[in-house]
Amino acid sequence: MILRSLIRRWDGLLPLIFVVLWALVGLVSLLWTPYALTDTDGYSVWAAPSAAHVLGTDGAGADIATWLMAGSATEFAIVVAVIALTAVLGVGGVALSVAHSARVRSVSVLVIDALISIPTVVIALILAAPAGASVLAVILACSIVYALNLMRVVRPAAAAAARSQYVVYARYKGVSEWRIFVQHILPQVMPSVIITVSHSAATAILAESGLTYLGIGVPAHVASWGQSLATAARFVTLHPATAIWPGLLITVAVIALNILGDAVRECADPLTNPLLRGDRTQEVKN
Amino acid sequence: MRTSISRTVARILQRLALFALMLWIVSVVIFLALRVLPGDVAAIVAGTNSTQAQYEALRTQLGLDQPLIVQYGRWLGQVISSLWTGDLGTSLITGEAMSTRLASRAAVTFPLILLSMVIALVVGIWTAVASLTSPRAWVRDGLRVLAQVCGAVPALWAGLLLILAFGRGSGLLGVLPTQGFSSDSLVSAAASLLLPALSVGLITGAQFSRYTRSALLEVEKDDYLTWSMAAGMTYAQAVRSTGLRLATPQIISVAGVTFASMITGVLTVESLFNLPGLATILLSDISERDLPAVQTELLLLAAFFLAVGFVIDVVQAWLDPRMAGVSRGTEVQS
Repeated sequence: MILRSLIRRWDGLLPLIFVVLWALVGLVSLLWTPYALTDTDGYSVWAAPSAAHVLGTDGAGADIATWLMAGSATEFAIVVAVIALTAVLGVGGVALSVAHSARVRSVSVLVIDALISIPTVVIALILAAPAGASVLAVILACSIVYALNLMRVVRPAAAAAARSQYVVYARYKGVSEWRIFVQHILPQVMPSVIITVSHSAATAILAESGLTYLGIGVPAHVASWGQSLATAARFVTLHPATAIWPGLLITVAVIALNILGDAVRECADPLTNPLLRGDRTQEVKN
Repeated sequence: MRTSISRTVARILQRLALFALMLWIVSVVIFLALRVLPGDVAAIVAGTNSTQAQYEALRTQLGLDQPLIVQYGRWLGQVISSLWTGDLGTSLITGEAMSTRLASRAAVTFPLILLSMVIALVVGIWTAVASLTSPRAWVRDGLRVLAQVCGAVPALWAGLLLILAFGRGSGLLGVLPTQGFSSDSLVSAAASLLLPALSVGLITGAQFSRYTRSALLEVEKDDYLTWSMAAGMTYAQAVRSTGLRLATPQIISVAGVTFASMITGVLTVESLFNLPGLATILLSDISERDLPAVQTELLLLAAFFLAVGFVIDVVQAWLDPRMAGVSRGTEVQS
């Protein structure tokens, strides 16, 4: 139902097409890429786009299109993992911060408020300093920071829902705290959870490119869009064309995720999507 | 009135205690994270040609043969006492004093952060207001699209594009330096910071513009703007004076979060433009495994951001008395 109303609007359909294409290219790259990742053509470094190399080659003679294709898979995995982890950690934190017990509530709110100012890059540095750069460090650093942000953004609405009459009533009836949160509070804040998580996914792509360039993100032998951009950055004044594609891909992906998040929010919210309301009344009738 | 002041003071004290507690926890996390790593500091410093005895001596000298808790205590003691002695130890690799080394780097990074932030705030607030009040529809829509697109650009790419456009030697308009930092005069220093700061400031400003716009729209939902207009203001005046004032606490809180996310960009462009800032020193210390240095640098970095969060929180409580109880999870139960 949400999907159906999503593809009826341009701001849902277009980014959705992009994300599906992105996932498909990523999948294909796991089975087939024009060249192997480690293939370098020493005789044609910095080659211009040609039939043999669609987007040309980089300074080591590696095929740029191959690296971008393989990068799509890594990037997609990072985005999916960040979405999942941010949602789980963030919603868990929200649950604690509106818990019935006043002590749990104030301690968790204090911790959220204090940690919110720590930037991704510092956490990434702490993770990468001992263990070296890794995809996992990128995912963890992004998820921790974005989950804290989600808690802070979603908490006011969740707290309002937690004070509502039906929560009080449910508590009198002896419904467990966890069930109250999942059934009565979470649905109220779902729209803002969706939008925050989708913005987090978009920001994760930006963070990945920055961290990778700094050498504390995706390790050098793993392909990612940030990796391609970082490779191009080193000789940009001599070969500016190589920097165009990864930069453009990242920008379009970020825009797509942002717009898609806004569209999904509107489609998933019964207040803004009449289709969902129709659905719900039918459910009640049955 | 008096109770509200004492509540504010209580809140500041509470936040200060929390700041100290968080800093302590972060210090433990950083210390432990750097201890579980593969790689022995003493072995690296001693080099491959050292004898077993030299290696052992170095371990004793660095205190690595002590139990973890003693090592931690020594480190923490040194960092805390550095508040008045200014002594953060010496780098194991280069033998320089840490404090002078960090101070000279911070003298590049902090102006860069500040300049980026100013650009971001000016661009962000100005475009957000204009995207609501401009009399021409295409300006309003154009600014929104521009904010959406520019906010999606990675700082690294923005830096590259700016180098290609304005960079001296290679750019279309070869006017600005793109490599290194020149501290000869204030003008040349500002010139070498301008492109890096623009790369970060413009995209952060675009992100900031979107949040400011929605904060202003949030204010518009209440009747304040309507009342201002009833009192004789035009819509544009109402947004600029009443709207911005009412949205200030929210804008500050967003600025805090945007500020934290901007730092990745700042460090990235610092290294793209070869500025001798904190990024270069931190990354080289990590790759050279100068762990005692990395440990202190990370702690100082975390302390800086915790302090920024603390200041934002206090300013916010001061600007918006309504917030005083809210953020502490002690709201009135209705």
